[in-house]
Amino acid sequence: MRVAVLGASGFIGSRLVEMFHLEGIAEVRPIARRVSSLAGPSRFRLDGRIADGRDRESLAAAFADCEIVVHAVAGAPSVILGTIAPVYEAAEKAGVRRLIYLSSASVHGQNPASGTTESSRLSVRQAIPYNNAKVRAERRLRRLRARGTVELVMLRPGIVFGPRSTWVSGFADALIDGKAHLVDRGRGICNSLYVDNLIEAIRTAMSAPSADGEAFLLGDREQITWADLYRPIAAALGFDLESLEDAVSVDPDPAARALLKRARRSPLARGLSAVLPTRVRRALKSATSGLEDPSAELSAWTRPTAPRPIATLEMELLAKCRYKLPFDKATRFLGYEPLVSFDLACRRTVAWLEFAGYPVRDPSR
Amino acid sequence: MSVPSLPTRVALVGCGAVAELSYAPALRVLSAEGLLEVGALVEPNAESSRRLETAFPSARVHRDATALSGATIDLAIVASPPRFHAEQTIRLLREGISVLCEKPMAATSLEAESMIAASVAGKRILAVGLIRRFLPAARTIRAFLARGVLGDLQDFHFTEGGRFRWPTRSADYFRPGAANGGVLADIGTHVLDLIVWWLGEPTDVRYEDDAMGGVELNCRAELRFPAGFQGVVRLSRDCDLPSRCFIRGRKGSLLWSIDEPEHLTLHFEGVPWVVSGRLHELTPASLQPGAGRRAANFEQSFVEQLRNVVASVRGEEQPFVGGTEALAAVRLVESCYRHRTLMPMGWLNEREGARAETLSLQDTVR
Repeated sequence: MRVAVLGASGFIGSRLVEMFHLEGIAEVRPIARRVSSLAGPSRFRLDGRIADGRDRESLAAAFADCEIVVHAVAGAPSVILGTIAPVYEAAEKAGVRRLIYLSSASVHGQNPASGTTESSRLSVRQAIPYNNAKVRAERRLRRLRARGTVELVMLRPGIVFGPRSTWVSGFADALIDGKAHLVDRGRGICNSLYVDNLIEAIRTAMSAPSADGEAFLLGDREQITWADLYRPIAAALGFDLESLEDAVSVDPDPAARALLKRARRSPLARGLSAVLPTRVRRALKSATSGLEDPSAELSAWTRPTAPRPIATLEMELLAKCRYKLPFDKATRFLGYEPLVSFDLACRRTVAWLEFAGYPVRDPSR
Repeated sequence: MSVPSLPTRVALVGCGAVAELSYAPALRVLSAEGLLEVGALVEPNAESSRRLETAFPSARVHRDATALSGATIDLAIVASPPRFHAEQTIRLLREGISVLCEKPMAATSLEAESMIAASVAGKRILAVGLIRRFLPAARTIRAFLARGVLGDLQDFHFTEGGRFRWPTRSADYFRPGAANGGVLADIGTHVLDLIVWWLGEPTDVRYEDDAMGGVELNCRAELRFPAGFQGVVRLSRDCDLPSRCFIRGRKGSLLWSIDEPEHLTLHFEGVPWVVSGRLHELTPASLQPGAGRRAANFEQSFVEQLRNVVASVRGEEQPFVGGTEALAAVRLVESCYRHRTLMPMGWLNEREGARAETLSLQDTVR
């Protein structure tokens, strides 16, 4: 079976190519947007192709002779939505049997209500644009499937971690830079999914007969917290997770902060500043200070200290989660079982950290 | 050889990304100074040469380097894919044209030696584009080490990496057989050349990479030197490694972030502060070490490289990096590939690991 992997240079795509090729699961065809993005798959002798996810012609050529297409393109909402119709239509033109789309559990929000399942109502009015884009992408795909011939399986993975994951490298970098923090002491439920378990789900989704047109939540078997996810990373790098500070406030909208900064530097604001009474100026500054980077205010008489950790809105919402999303539908329809335990997943992730040059102190953890 | 008062006539052989992004701007600077003129562009792919044709409208465009035979060209810059370097360079030298060959100079030391022999026989300049030797920080490090500023050396760590973003247009860049190798042959040539230039040739090499039938994305080399110290080189087109060189001696250590060619950080044993700052040219007339002009950045250093080669062709200077100088790095790259083993990849399961070992053996000869 020949499988085209669109987004082959990304975190999930690269592991998918690696695992399918090394395990001999399928003949893999990595597809990337630029020649430079073929660097990763080129560790293997594979038939890599170049195609833009928004260009039907180049996609159809790249999908030729492939039975399955895995859509693993990551990106901004415009990329998420801009690739949906071209990929589906190109797959149809190339005679692809099934399209497996990597959606996200985020369609249910970062803090899903207890009892959430695949059949729960989805909203496009969520605070995080990524979530809305994924909901819209799924809806577009369903419409395309309704009138098209290519079968469709949509996977909704939770927090996918493992080698090359930014959940892992980002936290490791923050630890090393002294900027790591927890939110709510890491007590929130992390709907984790080790990348190899996601790939196992993709494998099962390629052939499961009754999966067409369905969406599936995916997760690891264990219920874990954010502290559980971060602890092995911290330990491997010689940090004590419990000593990390808790972030205290939601990061305001970065766009709003940039707007404020620009507004303050504008000729109008400078002109007003010159004529407004000091008390009024101070009051205005106080009212808007929550939107500013606290590290920006420095005095010549004090040495600068590290800024207080500020959680992003996404992390704030994720940290509030108290519900483990179910994956029983994937088990029933696809035969999906998470083959890699969370403990083993963490050990493999730490092995990658060491490979990637992080100063791992105890690779056995 | 051209008459010194006339601009040196230059041909650019290969109009890919390095020609467009690095050589073309440097050529324009020296062309504006009247030091050279671009007389020919050689590129088999018409689309690739189009932008450079606009930049150098008076240059004749050829699809093959053999067309330069009999042309009034003093210097050819060979910036074609590495597998063509040896053949094109030797042919040009035999035609009486001096050559600046972009790194890697050659795929094998045998090829490199043939290139040097052609240069000697034809009495023409063979320079190699190892730009990092022109960077102020690299030159300062060499001077520090030669003067024993850090004391007896203990070890060094050279790491460099990140997602591969070089705007190459050809997938040949990654194709075994077409490419001479992966990250080691590419960035590694620069890194190993600096190491040899600073520290001499290692006596013992251990090397591992992650090529499994293709070209390596990651590699790691351990190098041991006659003086007893050793160092690690870790390179990647994959992982975000800090691009820096750390050298530790008994008196102190130095750190160079490769992305900052005009900065250095120094620390001396027992001192609770580090010196971290920008390099400046020494003010020549001052009794005290006055900080003159800012040291050259990467782009300005690239121009200086080209200026040195042009001056060498005119007989005014010696090439700063000649073919013989560059040979050591070619040999070291070759030695690494000869000793290669598969990098441990602890995230692979048992079946994958076994298959990876099998596939990696397919790649022992490049």
